[in-house]
Amino acid sequence: MNEHISPSDTKLDELTAELPREIAPPPELWNAIRAELAERSSNRWRWDRWRLAAAGLLIAASSSLLTVVALRAREHAREVAIAPVAPSSSAAAQSEPRLPARLASAEQGYLRSAEALRRTLDERRDSLAPSTVATVERSLRIADSAIAEARAALERDPSNAVLAALFTSNYERKIDVLRRATELAPRT
Amino acid sequence: MASPLSLVRSVQTLHPSALAAGEGAGEDALVGRARRGDVDAFERLYHLHAGRVYALCLRLAGEPAEARELVQDTFVHAWEALPRFRGESSLTTWLHRIAVNAMLERRRRDRRRSARVTLVEDEDEVESAPLAGGFVAPTDVATAIDLERAIAALPPGVRRAFVLHEVEGYTHEEVAGMTGLATGTLRAQLHRARQLLIRALSL
Repeated sequence: MNEHISPSDTKLDELTAELPREIAPPPELWNAIRAELAERSSNRWRWDRWRLAAAGLLIAASSSLLTVVALRAREHAREVAIAPVAPSSSAAAQSEPRLPARLASAEQGYLRSAEALRRTLDERRDSLAPSTVATVERSLRIADSAIAEARAALERDPSNAVLAALFTSNYERKIDVLRRATELAPRT
Repeated sequence: MASPLSLVRSVQTLHPSALAAGEGAGEDALVGRARRGDVDAFERLYHLHAGRVYALCLRLAGEPAEARELVQDTFVHAWEALPRFRGESSLTTWLHRIAVNAMLERRRRDRRRSARVTLVEDEDEVESAPLAGGFVAPTDVATAIDLERAIAALPPGVRRAFVLHEVEGYTHEEVAGMTGLATGTLRAQLHRARQLLIRALSL
C-alpha cells in the first residue's frame, strides 16, 4: 500500500482503512443456514442408512460364499483323513485348533477397534432411530456369524488363502458397519 | 446498496491473522463441539464470524442478495468441512478462504452458463484493457461519493483483488494463492482498481 504516493492514493488509503471490517448480516440469515444444514443432514442420514443396509447385504453374500468355500475345504479334509497318515500327523491333528499367527494378530486389532466403536455406538444409541439401530444390529449379527464361520473353517484349514481373505474382509466390514453407525448420530 | 455504514461496527485494520489471535480458547472449544455435530456451538461460531464474513462477501459480490447467498454457502460448507479443519490457519482465515472459493465457484458457474465474452474480469485482459473498458457502471456511480458503492461498481475481478488486498489486508502472495492469479496480474488489477476508485470518488 505504501508504494502509492500521490495525494489521491494517500486519500484512497485513508478511506479504505476506515472501512468497517464487520457488517451485520440480515438477521434471518442464520435460520436459512440452519434449515439448509438440517436438509443436508437428512439427506446424509438417508444415504448412510442405505449404505448400512448395503453393507449388511454384502456381508450376507460373503457369508454365503464362505459357506461354499468351507464346505469344499471340509470335503478336502475328509479326503485327506481317509488317506494313510503317519503317527506324528495324527498327534498334530488332535492338538488345539488355532489361527495362523498373522491372522490371530490381525484379529486382536480388529477386536480392539470393534470394541472401541461399539462403546461409542452404545453411548449414542439413544440418538439413533429405532429402525437404524435394528439395521445396524442385524448387520452386526450377520458379520459376527460370518466371522465365526470363517474362523472355524480356518482352524480346520489354516493355509486356505481364500478363507483368510474372507475372515479379514468380514472383520473389516464389521468395523465399517460400526464406524458408519457411530457417524450416524444426528448433527442437528 | 443500502448504507452499510449504518449497520457496522468498525474494528482496527489489521492482517486477518492478527485479528484471529484475539479469538480466545473459547472458540477452540466451540470448534471442537461443532466438529462433533453440536449445531448450537456452530451457531455461536456463526455469530462470532458472520459480521466479517458478510462484510467480505458483500464487497466481493457487490450486492446484498448474492452476498447473503455467499455467506450461506460459506457456513454450510464450513459445517461440512469442519471435521477436516485442523487449525493450521485461524478460523477467520479458513472461513475467508471458503468464502472466496464459493465466490470463484459462482463466477465459474455463471461463465459456463452464459458464456459471456464482455467481462473485463478475464484476468489476462486486465493489464491491456483501457481504463473505461468493461467498467460496468451503475447509473448512480458518477455521483457516488461513497467508497463502498465505488468498490461495488468495480469489475468483479478487480474488485476481488482490491477487497482482499487493500481492505482485508492479505498479502499479494496470499491473494494470489486464494484466487489462482499470477502476482503480476494481481498487481495490475490492484493498480486498475485504484485508478477506477480515484476517478469514481474524484480524489
